[in-house]
Amino acid sequence: MISMIQPTKGNETNIKLPFSFIAFSMIALILSQLLILLNGDLLITGTFRLPAIWSAAHLFVLGWALMVAMGAMYQLVPVAFLTPIWNERFGFWQFALTSIGIASFAATLYINPQDALIPGLLTLAGILMFLFQMFMTLRSQAKPNILTLFVGTALFSLLLTIVLGITLVLSMNTGFASAYYHAVFKTHILLGTAGWFSLLIFGFSYKMVPMFSLAHGYSMKPANYVFTVYFIGIIQLVFSFITKIQLLEIIGTFFLSAGFMVFAWHVKKIIDKRVKKKLDRPFMFALLAIGFGAVIHLAAFAGSLADRLPVIIGPLLISYLIAWIAFSIIGYLYKIVPFLWWTHKYSKEIGKQKVPSLKDMMDEKLALPLFTLFIAGTLFLLLSFSVKLLPVFYLGQGLNVVGAVLFSYIIAKVVIK
Amino acid sequence: MELKEKIRENLKTVYDPELNINVVDLGLIYDIEVPEPRTAKVIMTLTTPGCPLHDSIASGIKYCVLGMEEIDHADIQLTWEPAWTPDRMTEEGKKQLQGF
Repeated sequence: MISMIQPTKGNETNIKLPFSFIAFSMIALILSQLLILLNGDLLITGTFRLPAIWSAAHLFVLGWALMVAMGAMYQLVPVAFLTPIWNERFGFWQFALTSIGIASFAATLYINPQDALIPGLLTLAGILMFLFQMFMTLRSQAKPNILTLFVGTALFSLLLTIVLGITLVLSMNTGFASAYYHAVFKTHILLGTAGWFSLLIFGFSYKMVPMFSLAHGYSMKPANYVFTVYFIGIIQLVFSFITKIQLLEIIGTFFLSAGFMVFAWHVKKIIDKRVKKKLDRPFMFALLAIGFGAVIHLAAFAGSLADRLPVIIGPLLISYLIAWIAFSIIGYLYKIVPFLWWTHKYSKEIGKQKVPSLKDMMDEKLALPLFTLFIAGTLFLLLSFSVKLLPVFYLGQGLNVVGAVLFSYIIAKVVIK
Repeated sequence: MELKEKIRENLKTVYDPELNINVVDLGLIYDIEVPEPRTAKVIMTLTTPGCPLHDSIASGIKYCVLGMEEIDHADIQLTWEPAWTPDRMTEEGKKQLQGF
């Protein structure tokens, strides 16, 4: 039997909204990489918890990765969940508040961290507006599915991450909950990375991997195991931070690694069922990030097992942020930005005249040099932490800065075309 | 050429911008009807529900059909049942996808 529905109208978001986020994020990416480059002498000695590094880390994580994720979600949620954005005008206000919040937050962290509370609250308000927008959008989804669980839990983790971040600033200023400062700090990092970004990337990968590879006839059952096992890992680790019981930390990192390995295996199974044999380079880069993510998770488990996690956590977190989260985002963004611009420019022309394909919109020749720059940069950066040589650090981070500038140029070129 | 066939041939100018294969060879067109003079009804699908190009491809098909001098009204209906499978592609479509 054939059941019919009319083509839905108005699911596409006003292009200015996601592009505002993406434009802001590109500036934040370059600035954060420059800040890291300028503080090499501190980083190389393993000193991570300093105002300049806090500023760079938040500029990178909030200013770039979070802003990109929010911009991409304004575009992806309506198409992946078949429901329009609840209120676009509210989205523009949310952008204004969040961008002012993050810019002033990064600046005060750099200049005087004690003054970071008000900018932090502005950022919190902006992110709360985003969470409210997503809640209102997703609640009107006709049929919630496993993707809703991944994305919903990721959004909840983001909320907790921000609340814990504000608690940290309060604790620093007033001594509030100072006995739990370290547990709160570790939970803030864990929920911001594994809880927010990883679960979000898992969720959207389940939409994008089959789409970009044109995979059919695969099972989605393993996604339930991925969610359950990974989620148990996060909870276990939070308990280990509170109780300081080493065994709980080992169990937690084991579950996180196991969940990630099931995810990597499941993605491979989906890819095996693809019809499109030749995959695009940016998409392969996003798949490569899954490989890096698997290695990083296993390294965390091995480090915990050997009771060496506190020693390796700095480089491990940097690898996590760059090789797993940033590489995934860059790979997917390479595909999302041309789509956004194509929709804006050609969705009214298709069927009337010849229009370019999405492949024509982005300079794919630059993909390989870009990804090589980032991979080499990250490898040198990690090497510099173990050999503690400043020139190696400058080489690695210098490549990352060039990569960030090149990536921004590639994105800008799509819009200029 | 029968009008339905002419419409099908015309739809070969509408391409899925991600795969760069036309909607006919991709097997997205399930049925074409001409229920009354100067009116076309096209029943179509997409490769996956929640395809980001959902609205663009459907409206591209509509513009294409309305662009024909024999047609004044076009009714485009999107269905997910039966779901699209790779078997629905034409030989030409499969060949293009393998080389893409």
